[in-house]
Amino acid sequence: MTRISFTATAALLAFACAATDAFAHAQLEKAAPPVGGTVASPTEIRLEFSEGVEPHFSGVTLTSAGGASVPLGAAKTEASNPAVLIVPITKALTAGAYTVHWHAVSVDTHHTQGTFQFTVKP
Amino acid sequence: MSLLPIRLAAGSLACAFVAGGSVAADAHAVCGDRIFPATLAIDDPGVTDELTLPTAQWLPQNSGGVGELDVSGSWAKTIFPNLTLSAGTGPTWLHGPDGFGWDAIDTELKYQFMCIPGLEFMASLGFDVSWGGSATGAQTSAPNMYSPVLDVGLGFGALPTSMNYLRPFAITGEISTTTPGEAVWNGDQFATSFNWGFTLQYSLPYFNSHVGEIGNDFVKHLIPTVEFAFSTPTANAASGTWGTTGTVQPGIVYMADKWQLAVEAVIPVNGASGHGAGVVASLDLFLDDIFPDSIGKPIFSQSLPMFTGARE
Repeated sequence: MTRISFTATAALLAFACAATDAFAHAQLEKAAPPVGGTVASPTEIRLEFSEGVEPHFSGVTLTSAGGASVPLGAAKTEASNPAVLIVPITKALTAGAYTVHWHAVSVDTHHTQGTFQFTVKP
Repeated sequence: MSLLPIRLAAGSLACAFVAGGSVAADAHAVCGDRIFPATLAIDDPGVTDELTLPTAQWLPQNSGGVGELDVSGSWAKTIFPNLTLSAGTGPTWLHGPDGFGWDAIDTELKYQFMCIPGLEFMASLGFDVSWGGSATGAQTSAPNMYSPVLDVGLGFGALPTSMNYLRPFAITGEISTTTPGEAVWNGDQFATSFNWGFTLQYSLPYFNSHVGEIGNDFVKHLIPTVEFAFSTPTANAASGTWGTTGTVQPGIVYMADKWQLAVEAVIPVNGASGHGAGVVASLDLFLDDIFPDSIGKPIFSQSLPMFTGARE
């Protein structure tokens, strides 16, 4: 590797790290209920992304194992962390498997989506 | 884009993404739930703004029988959201006297014409040109090389959740033909060849967000990958060079939000492809994520026609 390559790479990495106003595709880092997890009936779905998201263009649907749609409240981001999207579950969930479909638009308008399941224990 | 290598060995076939040439990793791609990483031997099926710098490859003994070090860089720029123009080049050192040269500049126009989100399936067509006259030193002995390319990718996310542990898998594939602008150049014979290969990937980021939570922050960004890249002469090959050459490249990709780092072993499939395992590594910077409002966005915002599978 040449000295030029090292210098150029270092400069570009510095750009990447210093570009604090830039955002990437919002990827799901962590969820509650957890991806694939088993929990007591949750009161909200909490999705933690790798980047800040726009709540007005992001959202969640929740369906039961039978395909019935579960009513949810309006999505909002956590006041202290715009990378966390919170969606209230407006009624208690019965035991069984549920599927979360989420879509997110990061603040630079990149779109991502995903699906995961969790189970509510009896 | 594939940086099509121009090999010094006189009379040899002179193309393709096989062992013993300069290399370039290419853009990551998003379709539905799937993010295909940039892979090193087989191009991914998407287009985006991306800077690959550097890609470095070391081979203990290339197909010409000498040690080789390649360093290259490439830049892909979106003209439309689903059309990019990319360019790349870099130096090559061959072990021995007069072994240094700058590879030919390689350009590719690439059109992503399909993304079916629900199937995590995408495809693109490209036209790659290796500009022989732009090479220097030991790399000058080749004409222009022209390669139409088809790239496809399929994630396994559409599998039923009863097969959850298979859903992070994905495959990508690439076929192309490479035709020299001149069949004989400076007394050397250049073959037309059929290039083909595929990758098999297991995405732990996908596992973490679709199958089950991974507690370790490092592990959940890894994508174990194995690539298979081959080239078969189809016309005008010099005597003794008609066989298929290629490499198998097991490795791993670390995918962060704005960059990725990939490292792979380069294992030749036969003696005509080289001897001994080499190594290749590449750093990709996702310019669409780093500079979304300037050099990382398409020049024109309207996409060219793309099949999505959606009903009108």
